Amino acid sequence: MKKTKSSIKSTRTRNSLQYHAMVFPGMVFLILFGYLPMFGLIMAFQDFIPAKGLFGSQFVGFKHFAYMFTLPDIGRVIRNTLIIALGKIILGMLLSIAFSILLNEIRLKFLKKTVQTIVYLPHFLSWVVLAAVAMNLFNIDGSVNQILASIGLEKINFLGSNNVFRKLLIGTDVWKEFGYNSVVYLAAITGIDAGLHEAAAIDGASWWKRVWHITIPGMLPIILLMTAMNLTSVLNAGFDQIYNLYSPIVYEVSDVLDTYIYRIGLVGRQYSFGAAVGLCRSIVALIMLVSANKITEKLTNQRIY
Amino acid sequence: MLDTKSTGSKIRNTVIHIIVIGLGLACLLPMINIVAISFSGSAAVSANRVGLLPVDFTALAYKRIIEDSQFWRSFRISVIRVALTLVLNLVITVPMAYAMTRSKGDFPARNIYMNLLIFAMLFNGGMIPTYIVVKNLNLLNSIWALILPGAVPVFSVILLMNFFKGVPKALEEAAIIDGASQFQVLLQIMVPCAKPSIATVSLFSIVGSWNDFFGGLIYMQRVEDYPIMTYIQSLNIDLQELVKNAANSAALENVAELSNRNLNAAKIVVAVIPLLIIYPFLQRYLISGLVMGSVKE
Amino acid sequence: MRKTFLKKAAAVTLAMSTVLSMTACGGSDSGSTKKESAPAAAPGERDTVTITMGRQTTANPKFPEGDNYEDNAYIRMVEQELNVDIVDQFEANNGDDYNRQVSLALSAGSLPDIMKVASKDELTELYENELIADLTDVYENYASDYIKSIYDSFDGRALADVTYDGRLMAIPATASDAGPGMFWVRSDWADTLGLTIDADGDRCITLDEVKEITQAFIDGNPEKVSKMVGMSFDPSLTATSSDNANMINTIAYTLGAYPRHWYENENGEIVYGSTTDEMKQALSLVRDWYQEGIIDEQLGTRTWDDITSLLVNGECGVLFGSWHVADWLLNNVYTLNNKAEFEPYVVVNSEGKVNCTHYKATGEYVVVSAAFEHPEIAIQILNLIYDDMVNSAELLEKYPEVDSYLREGVDGTARPYNIEVKSSTYLLSEYQELKAALDGDAAKEDISSAEERTNYDAIKAYEGGNGEVTGWCKIHSRCKGVDMLTYLNDNDMYHWITPIYPQTTTTMKTNWANLQTLEAESFIKIVTGTDDLDESFNTFVSSWKSQGGDTIASEIKEQTGKQ
Repeated sequence: MKKTKSSIKSTRTRNSLQYHAMVFPGMVFLILFGYLPMFGLIMAFQDFIPAKGLFGSQFVGFKHFAYMFTLPDIGRVIRNTLIIALGKIILGMLLSIAFSILLNEIRLKFLKKTVQTIVYLPHFLSWVVLAAVAMNLFNIDGSVNQILASIGLEKINFLGSNNVFRKLLIGTDVWKEFGYNSVVYLAAITGIDAGLHEAAAIDGASWWKRVWHITIPGMLPIILLMTAMNLTSVLNAGFDQIYNLYSPIVYEVSDVLDTYIYRIGLVGRQYSFGAAVGLCRSIVALIMLVSANKITEKLTNQRIY
Repeated sequence: MLDTKSTGSKIRNTVIHIIVIGLGLACLLPMINIVAISFSGSAAVSANRVGLLPVDFTALAYKRIIEDSQFWRSFRISVIRVALTLVLNLVITVPMAYAMTRSKGDFPARNIYMNLLIFAMLFNGGMIPTYIVVKNLNLLNSIWALILPGAVPVFSVILLMNFFKGVPKALEEAAIIDGASQFQVLLQIMVPCAKPSIATVSLFSIVGSWNDFFGGLIYMQRVEDYPIMTYIQSLNIDLQELVKNAANSAALENVAELSNRNLNAAKIVVAVIPLLIIYPFLQRYLISGLVMGSVKE
Repeated sequence: MRKTFLKKAAAVTLAMSTVLSMTACGGSDSGSTKKESAPAAAPGERDTVTITMGRQTTANPKFPEGDNYEDNAYIRMVEQELNVDIVDQFEANNGDDYNRQVSLALSAGSLPDIMKVASKDELTELYENELIADLTDVYENYASDYIKSIYDSFDGRALADVTYDGRLMAIPATASDAGPGMFWVRSDWADTLGLTIDADGDRCITLDEVKEITQAFIDGNPEKVSKMVGMSFDPSLTATSSDNANMINTIAYTLGAYPRHWYENENGEIVYGSTTDEMKQALSLVRDWYQEGIIDEQLGTRTWDDITSLLVNGECGVLFGSWHVADWLLNNVYTLNNKAEFEPYVVVNSEGKVNCTHYKATGEYVVVSAAFEHPEIAIQILNLIYDDMVNSAELLEKYPEVDSYLREGVDGTARPYNIEVKSSTYLLSEYQELKAALDGDAAKEDISSAEERTNYDAIKAYEGGNGEVTGWCKIHSRCKGVDMLTYLNDNDMYHWITPIYPQTTTTMKTNWANLQTLEAESFIKIVTGTDDLDESFNTFVSSWKSQGGDTIASEIKEQTGKQ
């Protein structure tokens, strides 16, 4: 009996060593490129002078954080971030859900497959490419404006108007992602018991009623889960997209945290200030994710991570 | 199908078809537009006269790409980058994910590692500190600077972990009774079972590293070393900054040449082709992967 | 297994050393006020020195086949003459790209041995962080007399700009006054339309005439394009120099507003030109023109190349630009349409004078890393490129490929330093020589500058009917552009403003970038918007002042008072 126990133990230790070995290579990279740079965040509390390094630079406490809140820019940047991110999340989800419900009604296999193939495609393309596509379409003489003009509407300066640019950002992002995001919803719809629909149809329930009372409730868990997941990215308004589409004329409505940190903290060489803004952003994001995870766990018994 | 074929349902069906097809076209037409531009004469392009069909059809832009050595250098850098990233990601994430499926009893440190992974996914040191690390490792201007910082895609680890958990325990136990080590279990049982999810994370890796432009912007100190998306991004930049700053030297000839829109469109089309080639696989596996990924730990 | 473990162990060690080096990065370099002890050995006697450089490049440079920034005729000449090996640590286009590379290099404490710095702020920052070498002694000992005479022609302004606590910290580029932004008009169109411009022949026009000419072109549509655009501007609207192309500067100057400049007004107060009443008037005028359709309806989104294509496509026939705008912008027009001809006019104020600001004597710099052991080489490169290459025929004979670079006009950014070092009056005096030769009063050999000799050939060939764009450009930039400057100078037509070019103040450091953004955004909105003009402009001025503008003004006052 004793012998077996110790042999189990030694197997465990041996296995455990093997597991450590499996994790090891990844951990090396994680420490190098994930954790090591975190020491750099110290510079948020310093007047960081590169020549003096992190230990040589003078500590100034929360100076940069305090300064941040005196800047009129920061309010604007946060507002833009929230509006753009929430706009993308809400409209994106609505369109994906609607699209998946509609697509589910298509009985022609060929049509359904073709449409799916097409709408998933933009998701896989880089914003570098799609920004060029969007600029061709939406510049003032572009195709979209020519269509507007041909039906007698006024041209819209999509890329240069503070009234429209944010909508363009949200719209193009929704366009890029709705197809791909509909995949999970489509899966959820397929999972709904077909018997329910049949029973309801026999009872004479209209299509709308069935969608409203059967399909949507059936999708609800996944909708809640996706909402929680998406809300964690509310501070992430999409650097790649905005960086490739914006210009100084629309900074007012499109400068978001990430672009701001890039411009001030990197190009503008205000390292410490940039780090301070970045740190705040990360902390808020972390808090949001943890709470979203808790909420999801309560609501759906699933965890985001 | 369940519906009685009433007029109402017919109208409804038609409307649904129109909407769905409309959304499909909305995704398709912009792509066709860019292809049409790439095959059009530059005068027609600057005049914004190109819609869905090429105007003044010419393949000149493509001919010029063939001669553009920088384009192909960047293209090759990206291909190599994608291949190396893929191998590295798999070598790291597969064993890691497997170890993460072990219970706390089997692998006491498991939760510590898991927390380290998740924290690293949520939190980072920012651009400058990461740059300093990359620089101090002497990786600047090397293709490894584009690869190593993204060596551990945590999301892929989680995805694989969830999949491994679904592999029947019995298979594993049988192998262990036969005296297999954990590594053997991983390679001989888990990996073959997890092919679809490995394909999924592979495609994540490919798409991500092909599409990334920012790494090149930061870690590459000259245009010659840019990967393809960074190179294309550099074509999209505004020339006004450029001209404004250099207006004092009489060196600004051929400004117009840089803003050759049909040439740039052709470059975009060529840069997207590799993704289109693997697109059938992308569609198959990423979709299953996404559905899988939303069922969590 | 063991082998990989060792590898991993090595990686961890590497990681640890990274931590250490990051925390102390650059620390070892910082004891920097190095004194030149022994005179350095002549290039031939020492070993080849490897120099790492930060190079500011330009997109789309035209190199002969096989050459590039790191390896071209200039670089090869420098390498051979000075026994050095030039390696580019980074190359980036001017603007955002270059700033990003410098910022990144700086953050990691790894400056190249020699690099270009594009702003005074950056220079000051480098000095304060003790990252750059003191060049006082090497300049004194190595700079050639000719080079020294160039800097002296600026009455000390050029060197003073790079002198900190009495020490020379950089090689400054020189920037001679470039005169006003001229109004360039498609004269072939004027002929076609039978339009008389400047009837009295004094080469001066008023703002009203600017508007009339533009309107006449819109109405006339000489090339029958689908839609004429009167004139267009860069979205930032104003620039920091008098003559920047595609800006509203000339309009503002004519009305007595000097945007983006600090200067003393008649009451002795230090003001910022963009916040003055005159500026409001200028914006108001531009806004009126915008609403009347004289100015491009897409103002604000036109990129620089958009404006160029407007000109090229014949949709627009006027622009504001410097004397040399033909060399790099209007050349595109001629290339596609060799009937195109431009004529420059200056816009005069109500007293018939041309308002103009003096340039800052310098604005770009070359710095040497404090860690570089041979700072004298930086000066030797300076001598070689900006003295010998200009003045020594033997050197060009020795390096025929450099000669052909100069002749073919290979991009000047190819030189190791992408800066100009020329005396304050070089433009006018060089043009005098060129003109004398063109008029037959002197021989080509009497022209002292190689560049002007090349221009002479190009112009002669063009006049001989070769139709080459280079000749067309040089006629426009020299015989029209610089000729105009000479005319203004000779007839005493300038009303000069000498702006204050302040050192970056404490508040500027933190707030300036934001204020600049505020300014650019406000102006474009005022011009293209429909809000009440007075109100919008006042809002801009008060937010500008409250966001640090007032503090900066008083800091500058203190600064100038001290000096």
